[in-house]
Formats: sequence, structure tokens, C-alpha cells
Amino acid sequence: MTNIDELTPVEDGHEMRALIRRTSNNQRARRVLISRVMMTLCAVAIAIAIVPLALLVYQLLRRGIPVLSTTFFTKLPESPSLTAPNATGGVSNAIIGSLALNIYASMMAIPIGVLAGVYLAESNSKLASTLRVIAQTMAGAPSILMGLFAFSLFVQDIKIGFTAIDGSFALAVLMLPVIAISSEISVRNVPNTLREAGLALGAKPHKISMKVVLPSALTGIVTGVILALSRAVGETAPVLLVIGGGYLNTWKPLDPVSALPLMIYTNAKSEWPSLRAEVWGIALVLVVVIFVLSLGARLWASRKQQVRN
Amino acid sequence: MVLLPDLQQHDEEVAEYNSATSSRSWYHNLLVAVALVFTLISVAFVATILWSSRSAWSSVSTLIGGRGWQSPTGPFGGLAMIVGTLETSIIALAIAVVIGLGTSIAIVFLIPRRLRTIVATCVELLAAVPSIVYGIWGLLVLAPFMLNTVDPWLNSWPLAQYIFGSPGQEFGTSLLLAAIVLAVMILPTFVAISREVISAVPQELMEASLSLGATRWQMIREVVLPTARIGLFGATFLSLARATGETVAVALVAGGVANVQFHLLYPGTSIASWIATEFGEAQGNEVAALMALGILLMVISFALSLVSRWLVNRQRKVLAMV
Amino acid sequence: MEEIVSELTVNSPKQPEAPSALGPAAMKLDNVAVSFHGRTAVRDATFEVTKNRVTSLIGPSGSGKTTLLRALNRLHDLTPGTKVSGRITLEGEDIYRGNITVTELRSRVGMVFQRPNPFPTMSIYDNAVSGLRFNGIKKKEILDEAAETSLRAAALWESVSSRLKVSAGQLSGGEQQRLCIARALALDPEVLLMDEPTSALDPVATLRIEELMTTLKQRVTVVIVTHNMQQAARISDDCAFLLMGEDRAGELIEFGPTQKIFNDPTDSRTLDYTLGRFG
Repeated sequence: MTNIDELTPVEDGHEMRALIRRTSNNQRARRVLISRVMMTLCAVAIAIAIVPLALLVYQLLRRGIPVLSTTFFTKLPESPSLTAPNATGGVSNAIIGSLALNIYASMMAIPIGVLAGVYLAESNSKLASTLRVIAQTMAGAPSILMGLFAFSLFVQDIKIGFTAIDGSFALAVLMLPVIAISSEISVRNVPNTLREAGLALGAKPHKISMKVVLPSALTGIVTGVILALSRAVGETAPVLLVIGGGYLNTWKPLDPVSALPLMIYTNAKSEWPSLRAEVWGIALVLVVVIFVLSLGARLWASRKQQVRN
Repeated sequence: MVLLPDLQQHDEEVAEYNSATSSRSWYHNLLVAVALVFTLISVAFVATILWSSRSAWSSVSTLIGGRGWQSPTGPFGGLAMIVGTLETSIIALAIAVVIGLGTSIAIVFLIPRRLRTIVATCVELLAAVPSIVYGIWGLLVLAPFMLNTVDPWLNSWPLAQYIFGSPGQEFGTSLLLAAIVLAVMILPTFVAISREVISAVPQELMEASLSLGATRWQMIREVVLPTARIGLFGATFLSLARATGETVAVALVAGGVANVQFHLLYPGTSIASWIATEFGEAQGNEVAALMALGILLMVISFALSLVSRWLVNRQRKVLAMV
Repeated sequence: MEEIVSELTVNSPKQPEAPSALGPAAMKLDNVAVSFHGRTAVRDATFEVTKNRVTSLIGPSGSGKTTLLRALNRLHDLTPGTKVSGRITLEGEDIYRGNITVTELRSRVGMVFQRPNPFPTMSIYDNAVSGLRFNGIKKKEILDEAAETSLRAAALWESVSSRLKVSAGQLSGGEQQRLCIARALALDPEVLLMDEPTSALDPVATLRIEELMTTLKQRVTVVIVTHNMQQAARISDDCAFLLMGEDRAGELIEFGPTQKIFNDPTDSRTLDYTLGRFG
């Protein structure tokens, strides 16, 4: 019950009111001015943020497009010489190399990553919570460490040399936690009502998981995989140390290969201006591929979402 | 970047669901096996690098405190790399946070709603640009610009020689350039996360503050930012993690010189970029030393990851209360 | 630049429906209508909010009560594409076209929302005085006094005076709502707008807040939106009944003293509603 003694008499209210009015009126102009200034500064910030990024895109297009040609895509690289300073050839070895590396990496990372993600979503055992922490930690680890891992394992211990499989492994380790985390989220987002419906029909949990939950989570899982892939495509550090920088078009796992990011890295430091100019073309290709993958994944996911709704 | 859904409620539901039948089906076993494989790989990840580095740990003090890196015989001093990593990351973070915060506020409060999805997508796409691209832009475009325009201007400041060191490296690559390139690189990441966190502040809190007569900036500063504060710290740590782990961009623009360097216009290096540049030619003990640097990097990264995760959890609790 | 200013169209003023001879008016509404992107949400709102009385806005959902309420402290300024037409005055001053700025208006017309929304990172004390701080008042003595006065007025002082520095999240739902009332009262506003303040609370908490009304109205004029007509009958002095028309826009059907609205309304639709025939 309200205690009537708690409530102050009305007369007091008006003194305070006048004081409050006075002070707030005095302060108002200043506060409004500060607000305008700060909001303007925020607008300035976004302008500053856009500038370097816009410049980057501009340079990418301006310097990259002229480099692209059939030769660029289909020929092997050549070394410029004093008599032929512009003889750079093409980057087909890097294109094939990137394809090979990422395909092999996906073959390793996708099954393990997706199933691990499903496990994380459907289990609350100690193993699951530990694995979740591990996955999140690995997902944020610097990619050069994956390269060190692959070197240590394949070059030092197994003594296989600098090959495509080393690089694929490094990329797979990079993709694994990312795929696991996004798969877990996708499976969790499947509404529980679906699972309960399955149970009510008398199905066993594992059948429900395979036949009901997974298909429903498929869109999210595929999106996660594509995004992980788009990250792996652009990574230099994991492959830098271990793939050997091959100069031929090859799909063989035990051959040394090149990769698009690696080619950029090597050529950017070259003393030949023609090679340095070439990197913009490679970079453009890389960025376009990544954008197509990222945007494509998102658009496809949202279209599937709409169909479902 | 997605923040994880609430774990506790999920675990309860899962337990309830799993108790419906206890199944030791082949499917369940497969999942457990895969989980174990994953765990094994992760353990091997740490173990193999640690094992490869073992000979370098006999002289820990040199590794962490030594100033010079004598290849191929040693001693291998990691101080220059540590200092370089700290300098470049912290400066990059400072720039990125200030501009990034203003940018996120602008996106949420200044940009009209219709444009917001486009802007958000652009930011996410920029976050997906690989670091090598930022690296070549830094080396081939920004470095000459720094050399010809920015460095002389910076050196004309009073006290310049203490901070910048004149006249600076002759190629334009320097610690400062690395910091700037890093800042540009981590900005989209920071903005993506902080924008999400700021938008998650409930509309009713903002309406409540405005209904009390607050100006827009007061609403942002006194209500929105404090409510989002923990998530913003999370964004900061995640961006810092990205900055410290960055390899090739720094390798291209920092100058690649193993000096303990406090003059920002001179070249330096970072842990990750030093590993990348030296590894190709390294043999034996030097490889072990580089592996040891890798362990150092791992420790830093894991620590930052730990803090970030803790922060994300805290932020969720704050929002749950509203 | 700060807020999006709603555009006005000037309508020829209609004769007010039910002139209130009960006392001076705190706010007057004259042919007020609110539309979103051209679609009218509520119209024909003409009535007077008399000082130191509780005026309730009642009607079934969709009738535009909340939309109308939010026009009174210009909260629609935040939503682009909103137009508020007609004339709304506070103490005779047009709140949209007059000399009064938005921030000043909102310090004189406070609002309490449907779900309790204390600022989560602030303590009870800080929440209570947040309005004062926003308005530039910093002196500790003034803040302390205002905190105690407003918390007493919201019947919360006894319960929290020993733990003022505790986070507002520690309070129960009903207490949080009373904290929000205190927060709004701390500025000593002339009018307090309440948007279904008890609909998210349990019956006991609801009762405690309803008990506040009789004493609250001695300090402030209250305008309350409620979908619970028994509540309106219990606590309000004057009542505005709104109903959604065929064009899906809410309109004011009838305004008058609560007694009249519930016992002897002019319009048959009002009678139907209060008898529970729909809604």
C-alpha cells in the first residue's frame, strides 16, 4: 500500500520547477551546439573512412584492367630481361595453383568442419564446449601460423617437400574453425519445433538430425562454407612458406605450385616495373573472385530465406 | 561477424532433446569422431610448432629481449619484432577506433534507413578484401606519396625528430606507413562490429532519453555508447587481434629491418612479417627461432581471443537486462 | 539538421467538440491528424487536456491512441515521412510552429513508456536524475533533492533510498516502471504522457501504479493511453474514445468527463465499447 507520508506536498514542486527551467534554458543553446558539432564530426569521420577505400578501389581498377588479357590468363610467367623488359607472360600457373589448393583444402575442411559444427550444435558435452572454445580461438589466429604448422608437419616431419598438399593443408586448417562455427550457428537456427515434430512422429534423434535438421540448415552451412572459401582464396601467409612457388600448370598434389596471392607478393617486390604493374591485374582478379563469392553467397542465402518465408 | 546466440537456453533444450532417446547410433559416433579429429588437429597445431621451436627456448631472454637478429647463426633477438608489432598495432588501433566509432555513429544515426543496407554490405565487402591487396596499395601507391609529401610535412613539425626521426627511410616504407595501412585494413572490421553493437541498443532507450530533453549527441554519448560499451571493447580487441596477426601487408610496407625502432618514419618489422620474410632462407636454428616467434604470436592471439570472447558474453548480459 | 521536422498543413479550425469548463487547459489539440508516408493513422483529434486532471485515451487496438500520444512530445520527429497536421499547444504555445524548441518541449512534457526502460548502465540515482543532467543541471544539492522528491512521488523512495547506487537492473518490473516515472517527474514537467504504463506489469505492480495517479495529478497533468477500459474508468477524470474507421485511420469519436463517457455517452459506438461489445 502506498504510504501517504512518502508523497511530498504540491507547493514545493514549483520552486524546483522554476530553477530547473532557468538552468536548462541557459544551457540549451550550448548543448544543441555541441550536438551539432559532434554529429558533424561523425559525418567527417565517415568521409575520412571512405577516402582511402575509394582510392584503393580506383587504383585497383585503373591499374588492374589494362593488365588483363588473354595472355595474362592463359600463359605461364616469363622473366623480363633487359632486352624484353615487358615480357611478363601470364599467371596461368597461379590460377591453376589457386584452384588446386582451394579445391583440395575444401575437400579436407568441409566434411570435418560441417560435421564438427553439427556436433557442436547438437551436443552439450564437455567435448563440445571445449571444441567450441578451440574453434573460436583458432578462427582468430594469424594465418601465418597455419603456414608454420604445415611446414613443421609436412616439410620437417613427414619430409614431403614443398608441395601443393602442404598449402592445401594449411588452408584447410584455416577454413576448418570458420566452417565449424558457421555450421553450428546454422544448425542452431533451425527452429526446435521441427525437431519436436520429428520426435512426435517417433523418429530417432539421429534420423531427425540427418533428414530434417541438416536440409533445413543447408543454406546457412553452404553460405558459411563459401565465405570461408573466399577468405582462403585471398590468403598469402599460409601458403607462402610451403608451396614452393611452382612455375608450371599442375594439379598434382605433390608438385610445388603457385597461388594468386603469392604471385602478387613475389612480384610486388620485384625490381622490374612490368612485374610490379602486373600485380594490380592479379589483385583485381582476386578481389573480383572474392566479391563474387561473398555477394553470391549472401544473395543466394537471402533468396532462399525469402522462398521459405 | 555474428555474435553467438544464447548458450544456456540452447544447452537446456539440447539436453531435453537428447534425453528423448539415448542413441549410440553410427551417426552419433561419427560426429564424436569428427569432433575428436578436429580437436586433435588443433592440439597438433600447437604441439608441432612448439616442438619445432624447442631449441630456441634455451635462450628465452635473447628471444624476447635481444635486439639483433643475426642470421644464420644467431643470436636471434625478438625485441625488434615485439616492439614493432606493438607500435604498428597500437597506432593503427588508435586511428581505426576514433574514425571507426565516428563512422559507425554516422551510419546508424545519420544515414537514411534505405541506404543503410547498401552501406553495411559495402563495409562487409571491404572487410573481405585480402590483406595482400592493401599491401600492394601501401607499397606501390602510398609509399611514394608518403616519401614525397607526407614525410617532409611531418618532419617539419616541432619535436619531429623525437617521434618521426628525420629524414626517414629513403623508400617511403616505414613503421608509420605500416600503421596507416593496418588502420585502413582493420577499419571495416571495426565498423562492421561496432555498427552491429550500436544498432542493437533498443530503440526505447533512445526514445526515453530524447523524451527527457536530451540532444542527439547526449543520447549517443550518455545512453547508446555506454550501453554498447562492452561490445565496442570487443570490436576493439578483435581489430587489435587482426592488426597484430597481419603478415604480408606489413611485410611489404614496414621496411623489414630488425631494429628496435622508435622513430616512426624509419623501417621496422613485426613478428608476423619477420617470420614471413626470413623463413625462405632460414636453416636449422634460425627456423627454430622463427617457430618460437610463431609461438609468441600464438600466445598474443590466444590472449586477445580470450578477452574478446569474455567481452562478447558480458555484452549479451547487459542487453538481456533491458 | 538535428531532427526531422514534421511538416504542417494548416486546417481551418473546427468547433471543439466538448469544451472543458473544468479548469485551465495544459494542452489543447485542434483537429490534429498524424500520417505516415501519406497514410493517415489518426485524425479529427480535438480536445483539451485540463490541468491537474488525468485524461485517458481509450479505444481498441489500432485506433491511433499511441500515435496521437507521441505527437504530444514530438516523438514522431524521429520517424521520417511522418506528418502531423492541426494544432497542438502547450500553455497556449504551438509546439510545432511556436517558439518552443523540441528539447525544451520534452523537458516540459515527459513520457513513460509501455515497457519499463531504465538506462541499464546507470544506477537508480543516476536514472532518476538523468533528465536533469541532460538539461545541464549539475549541482549535487539540486540533483539530490530532485532525486528524493521524484522517487517519493513515484512511491519508490522507501524501497530504494538505502541502495541508490545500485544498478537499475536489480529492480523488479514494477519498480523499474516506477523508476521511469520518477525519472520523468524529476524534471517537474507540466504534463506527463503515459503509454500503457502497466500493460507489461503484473496485477500487483499495476495496482501500485494506479494508486499513484491520484497524487500524481496534483503535481502534473497526466495523459494516459490504456487499452484497459476498467483502468480508465478507475483512474481518469476525462476520457477520449478513439476508434478505427473504415479508412483504417483512427478518429476521435467522443471526448468528455469519464463519468459521462462510461455512463451516458453521446455516441452509440462509445456505449458499445464500454459495454464490452467489441474491442
